Amino acid sequence: MSGDHSGNEYDLSVVMEGRDTDGGLPNGAILSRFAEGVCERDLAKAAAARAAIVAQMGEAAMVDAAAVIAAFNAYPRAADATGIPLEDAKEEMTVGLREDLGLEALNTGGV
Amino acid sequence: MSDPFADLPATTRDDIRAALPIARQRLAEPGAWLTGAERVAIAAEVRRAWDCALCKERNAALSPYAVAGEHDHLGALPAAWLDIVHPLTTDSGRLTRGWYQGIRDAGVGEDEFVEIVSVAIIAVTMDSFCVGVGMEPSALPEPVAGEPKRVRAEEATPGPGWVSTIAPEDVRPHMAEYYANESYFYIRRSLTLVPEELPKFWDLMTPLYMSDPRIEELGDLQRSINRGQIEFLAARSSALLGCYY
Repeated sequence: MSGDHSGNEYDLSVVMEGRDTDGGLPNGAILSRFAEGVCERDLAKAAAARAAIVAQMGEAAMVDAAAVIAAFNAYPRAADATGIPLEDAKEEMTVGLREDLGLEALNTGGV
Repeated sequence: MSDPFADLPATTRDDIRAALPIARQRLAEPGAWLTGAERVAIAAEVRRAWDCALCKERNAALSPYAVAGEHDHLGALPAAWLDIVHPLTTDSGRLTRGWYQGIRDAGVGEDEFVEIVSVAIIAVTMDSFCVGVGMEPSALPEPVAGEPKRVRAEEATPGPGWVSTIAPEDVRPHMAEYYANESYFYIRRSLTLVPEELPKFWDLMTPLYMSDPRIEELGDLQRSINRGQIEFLAARSSALLGCYY
C-alpha cells in the first residue's frame, strides 16, 4: 500500500492512532472504526461501522472487511504467542516506517 | 442440527462460506496433543475470557504481570491453560518470553502449548468474523471421541521465536507444499511444531485474507475492497492488538 507502488499518498499514522480521518484511503475512517469495534469487542461500535460500510460500500465490502479483520485477529496472536521476530529483510526494509509510527514501543515480547 | 452459519450475509464469498463449518468441525476433533473435548473447552473459554474481571483489570494496568488474581472461567481447563487462553484472547500484544516460560514451568509441554494456542486463535478468529458481520457466534460443536497420538515432530528445531518450529529446509515429504511459493515468513512457520494443526489453521485464514500476500494488486482475486483497504484493515487490526510483528 506504499505510495512508491501505487503513486497514492496515505497517512499511515492513522493505522496507529485511529483518528477520524480517511488518511487518504477511500472510506478509511469507517473501516478503522469497524476494526476497532471487532477487535475490542465493542458490539455497538462494530454495528454502527457495519451499517456505515454497507450504506457506503455495499454488503459484500462489509463481509470482505470483516474477513480481513478476522484473519488479523489470528496472525498477530500467533506471532505474539510464539515470540517470532521480524524477518531480517523485513526489518531492514521497515526501519524508517517503524520509527515514524513508533512501532518499537510494541516490541516488548523479549521481556 | 440446524446450520450454524445459516445467517451468513448473502454476499459472503463461497470460499469463506466453505471454510467456516470445516474449521468449526475441526475444533471438535481430537488433535495431535489434545482431545476433542479439550479443544472445544478451549473455544468456550475464549468466549468467557472477554468478560473475565482479572483480564479487564490487567488490560487497564501498565503491566498485566503486576496484577495477580484468578481468571473467571468455566471450570473445564487447568489453571496453566487459562493463563494461555485468557491473555492470548484479551491482551496478546503484551505476551512475553517470561509469560511463556511461566506456562512451561507450570507443566505445559511445548507441543501442547502450540496446539492450545492454535485452537484458541481459530476460535477467536471465527468469533471475530461473526462479530464483524453481525451474527451470533456459532454454537460450539460436540466433541468427537478419540485420543491424540501425541507424537513429536522430530524435525523441529529451536527458534526463531520461543517455541520450536520446522524450518523450510527440514520439512519432510508430507509437508513439501507447505512452504511453496517462497512463503517462508516466520508467521507461516510459527505453529509448525504441530504439523497436524497447520491445515486447521491455514484453511481458515487463507480465504479470510489471501493465499499469497506478496502480490501487489489483487489480480484475479475477487474482493469488494481494494488492496489498500485490505492492508489498512490488516495493519489497523494488528495495531489494535498491539502486535509488533
